[in-house]
Amino acid sequence: MRTGKLSAVWRNERLGLMMIAASLAVIMLTVGLLFSYQQKADEAHIREQGVSLARVLSRMPFAQLLPAAGQQGVLSLLQYGQADPAFAYLLIVDPHGTALNEVSSPGVIAPGVPLSANPTSWLGERTLRLSSDGRAVQEFHAPLFDQGQLAGYLRLAYFKPGFGLDADQVPFFATLALPIFLLTPLFYFLVRREIRPLQTVNSQIDQLLEKGNWHRVEVGATGELRDFMDRFNHFIELARNRIDALEADRADLETSAKVLSYQRSRIESVVQSIPDAIMILDESGAVGLANARLATLLGVDPNRVIGQKPNEWCDNPEVVAFLAGCGSASTPGYRSDSVEFSPAEAPEKRIAVSAYPLFSPRDMSQILGNLVVFRDITAEMLARRSSGEFVAHVAHELKSPLNVIAMYSESLQGEDGQSEAFRIEAANVVHDEVERLSMLINNILSITKIEMGSISIERHRVKLRDLLEDTFNAVSRGGRGDDLKFIIDLPREMSPVAVDKDLMRIAINNLLTNAIKYNRPGGTVSLVAQETGGKVRICIRDTGVGIAAEDQERIFQKFFRSEQEEVRAKAGHGLGLSLVREIVHLHHGALSVSSTPGEGSEFTIEFDKETELLKQAV
Amino acid sequence: MRRILIVDDEPHVVRVLKLALERAGYVVDQAGDGKEALDYLQRSEPDVLITDIDMPRMTGRELCTHIDKELPDRLFQIFILTSRAEVEHREWSRVIPNVSFLEKPVSIRNLVARLDEHFAKVPISQA
Repeated sequence: MRTGKLSAVWRNERLGLMMIAASLAVIMLTVGLLFSYQQKADEAHIREQGVSLARVLSRMPFAQLLPAAGQQGVLSLLQYGQADPAFAYLLIVDPHGTALNEVSSPGVIAPGVPLSANPTSWLGERTLRLSSDGRAVQEFHAPLFDQGQLAGYLRLAYFKPGFGLDADQVPFFATLALPIFLLTPLFYFLVRREIRPLQTVNSQIDQLLEKGNWHRVEVGATGELRDFMDRFNHFIELARNRIDALEADRADLETSAKVLSYQRSRIESVVQSIPDAIMILDESGAVGLANARLATLLGVDPNRVIGQKPNEWCDNPEVVAFLAGCGSASTPGYRSDSVEFSPAEAPEKRIAVSAYPLFSPRDMSQILGNLVVFRDITAEMLARRSSGEFVAHVAHELKSPLNVIAMYSESLQGEDGQSEAFRIEAANVVHDEVERLSMLINNILSITKIEMGSISIERHRVKLRDLLEDTFNAVSRGGRGDDLKFIIDLPREMSPVAVDKDLMRIAINNLLTNAIKYNRPGGTVSLVAQETGGKVRICIRDTGVGIAAEDQERIFQKFFRSEQEEVRAKAGHGLGLSLVREIVHLHHGALSVSSTPGEGSEFTIEFDKETELLKQAV
Repeated sequence: MRRILIVDDEPHVVRVLKLALERAGYVVDQAGDGKEALDYLQRSEPDVLITDIDMPRMTGRELCTHIDKELPDRLFQIFILTSRAEVEHREWSRVIPNVSFLEKPVSIRNLVARLDEHFAKVPISQA
């Protein structure tokens, strides 16, 4: 657009244009002043000349001024002698104004303007205009006297100097104007030359700013600009180095932030994976951190709980009191540091809460908060309980035979001890009870050892046939003799098997004892062994009271005794079968039972022969 | 004549106690378990009932509860032979009156002494 271009031109070139305009103005002012001075000088010159000439001429005798015919008058001489371009005319007029003699420049007609009769104005000057071309003339007039009488007037006129150039003044003015006019562009270009580097620098700096890429600005410059540029570039370099250093620091910080973040997230994942529920309380008791396990253990959303005090998220008053006491105000170590409770919504669970103060690493006396650990100790509690129960059971079982022995022995000490019959009776009873007691104690020991894992079976190659026979004989001999029939059926040759002799003996013994105990009068106890392929099978059968279907699963539990009358009628502590099962398991065998209440029961032990075991192991 | 009912499923225990108590001058009856005991109590009341706790079908504790329900006006003292005297005593003594505990293994001398002590305080009941 034109206006745009114009304003752009103005913007870019305004210095030059201004300079030109200024120089023009200066020229014009100078010229004007010169002209005006010239004019004034000319005027003064004319006046001087005019007045003095008029005076001189007016003193001359009148006759000389009026030449006789044929003679050159003074006036003509004057005219030619003068050669003044400003001379307009010289006129001699009589007092009435009639011209008597006239000398004038070519083309000039003196205006016939009369002079005033007032003698005071006979000598003076006035400005007149020529009627021919209207030019102004300055007329000097003086009176002329002839023998003391006014003979006329002298009128001498010069052209008034105008405000303008004379032809011969042009070179002067030209000489004056030209340098001025030439110098101006010169200065302008000089200045521009100086400024040009700055413009380059400017545009380069613009680029720098735009691109953000800091580099040296190269510019061909001299003098102060060069110094400036050098300093500028130096500054740029320093800035650049600083920026590079900062960038490097920033990259380092980023990396270390990443590393920290990684470590933190690793620790966080550790915290989240810890199988216990963990919580960190700050000094005021508010939750700072809680891991995900809190939800499964206590049913509390770990995210919701952040920033809350114990009484806000926990229902259990004991726990709240415990956690509230974890504040830094309380002296560490002087109160119980853990508490157990069962959550209301899951009363079968048992949870232990422990609090550990978090000491500031810089100042060991300052506590930053507390680490609270919630641990599910349900299993521990059950184990404790069951072991407690076991011990109670054992003690109870032990006390019963002891009781009988105590009473009999006490009686023996008394009067009853005198009776021979009583003594025999007492001896028998005590003996039986002692046996019962020892068996019980042995069973308990074995079971406990096996459960603790401190029994490792010692397998030896054993002649199974002999073992079974011996055990059977031992038991049947001591049998209660309720007319029981004892049957043993073993293959003539049995391959040796690797079993623990003692444990196997206990197992067979227990089964046989049961078979005898829970039998009917006139019943049968049989022990049958078979070898099939890679397995050995041992069956112990009785014709006794049998086991009710619902009890068949539970008979192998420790201390279990059926509620059945016939069972309860017999003395027993309920450990025999559980021991048999443990022993069979240790031998990697299988124990099974089949029974019909009222008819009898059959217990079967089955295990692999040695070779099979080896094969399996391999 | 002081009558004592012994309730225990262990025949040996019953035998020895009976001998000793009869020697001490008491009349002793026996029951093999709680049901037998209750049947007996329908017919007559002893002066003292001695019972074990662990018995089949009905424990000594259940027996006492039944007695308390069916014979709220009983006069006779109950002695319980237990291997867990402490705990039971604390629980029971609040619930069922006229119950004493004896810890196993029972010393016969001790038992006889306790019985004598008891009867010294109580007037002879009507036959």
